[in-house]
Amino acid sequence: MMPLKANVSKPNESTIRVPFDTPEHAKIAYRVLSVDQEPRRNFVQKTLSLEDDVLVVHFSADQVKNLRTAITSFFECLLLCQDTIKLFGEQPEAKPNNNAGTHSSADST
Amino acid sequence: MVCALGIEGSANKIGVGIINNGKVLANVRRTYITPPGEGFLPKETAKHHREAILGLVQASLKEAQLKPADLDVICYTKGPGMAPPLLVGAIVARTLSLLWQKPLLGVNHCIGHIEMGRLITGAQNPIVLYVSGGNTQVIAYSNKRYRIFGETIDIAVGNCLDRFARIIKLSNDPSPGYNIEQLAKQGKQYIKLPYVVKGMDVSFSGILSHIEELADPSKRRNKRKKQQDEPEPEYSQADLCYSLQETIFAMLVEITERAMAHCESNEVLIVGGVGCNERLQQMMGIMCEERNGKVFAIDERYCIDNGLMIAHAGAEMFKAGAQMPLEDAFVTQRYRTDEVLVNWRKD
Repeated sequence: MMPLKANVSKPNESTIRVPFDTPEHAKIAYRVLSVDQEPRRNFVQKTLSLEDDVLVVHFSADQVKNLRTAITSFFECLLLCQDTIKLFGEQPEAKPNNNAGTHSSADST
Repeated sequence: MVCALGIEGSANKIGVGIINNGKVLANVRRTYITPPGEGFLPKETAKHHREAILGLVQASLKEAQLKPADLDVICYTKGPGMAPPLLVGAIVARTLSLLWQKPLLGVNHCIGHIEMGRLITGAQNPIVLYVSGGNTQVIAYSNKRYRIFGETIDIAVGNCLDRFARIIKLSNDPSPGYNIEQLAKQGKQYIKLPYVVKGMDVSFSGILSHIEELADPSKRRNKRKKQQDEPEPEYSQADLCYSLQETIFAMLVEITERAMAHCESNEVLIVGGVGCNERLQQMMGIMCEERNGKVFAIDERYCIDNGLMIAHAGAEMFKAGAQMPLEDAFVTQRYRTDEVLVNWRKD
């Protein structure tokens, strides 16, 4: 059995490349998602960068478990941001609501 | 003229509202309702909000008959609240702000409630009783701050009610508090419960443990006290609801009255989800009548968390010149009412 500390010098890493329709949309996602810091107890380093119309996100963590949690919560935010751009990006009111899972009804007005 | 869109999602409600110069244009909302006996958890609530929020933004624009270009500012709830649901509102608000090239403002949830209550009722400088599932505060305005005169030292009054509803397995639809209020109307017998006022502060967690034992004696933690020959009296759910409401509302009325006396104010404004409880409004009314005061209350559209209140408070801040760079548009679980400089009030 290796001691637990053996992995500290070799962190688990993951890089995600997310392409967008335009460099402008990629920049919006970059700015929106850069705001939130990783929780301090998460021990995950997250770095965002832009390569033209591709958003590049790099994660590194000591434990795979932490890496997974960080990526999962990042994806939740990313998908919401992408859906918002898709729905309100070009012609805001001309596009039909084709976003799965959203409903336009309300329980009160 | 300021036209503001507000997004609220600090607890189990997700709402979007649009206000134009004090005129309500849209106020739509969806509530995450859990099965009886279960509370709402951060992750699941955030999922609910993610699925509802974009539809609500569309619905609000449609109802207001506005285009994004007509808006002046996008507002969202910065805190206090549960982080995952708050983040849903913040992400959408940030994205919309950049897409539509509109300024963005983060609003304190409590300030949203207070300003909405003042707008709807026209109360000028009231003592504010802010009672909801997450907050219990008696607030008075002084020198550009909403100052907290008294508050709960443990759980919020709405949390106490919600959890009691869970214990006796009441429905969470439309809200646990509403169902307690309805059941309490059938209560006949007042059961004595602990009455916990500590100076200007209140405490509800001990009352909750006490009533939990009354509702379900098998859960009794302190087994030593069990006496075989003395059977436990059985209380009906209606009596328990009635007694719980009477006790905790009396505590709230007491600290509110003391704040009124201290500030020499004769107006009370009740805001927050528990504020739409008619028994609380009635009890506050009796107290105010005795003091020749006046109580202002609002209905569930504006009392329960909504996007409109965020839009309105944000619009007031915007008019006063508030700005927020995108880097500061984060969310925070703890954000006290008195941290906000109220520079939009002239008094």
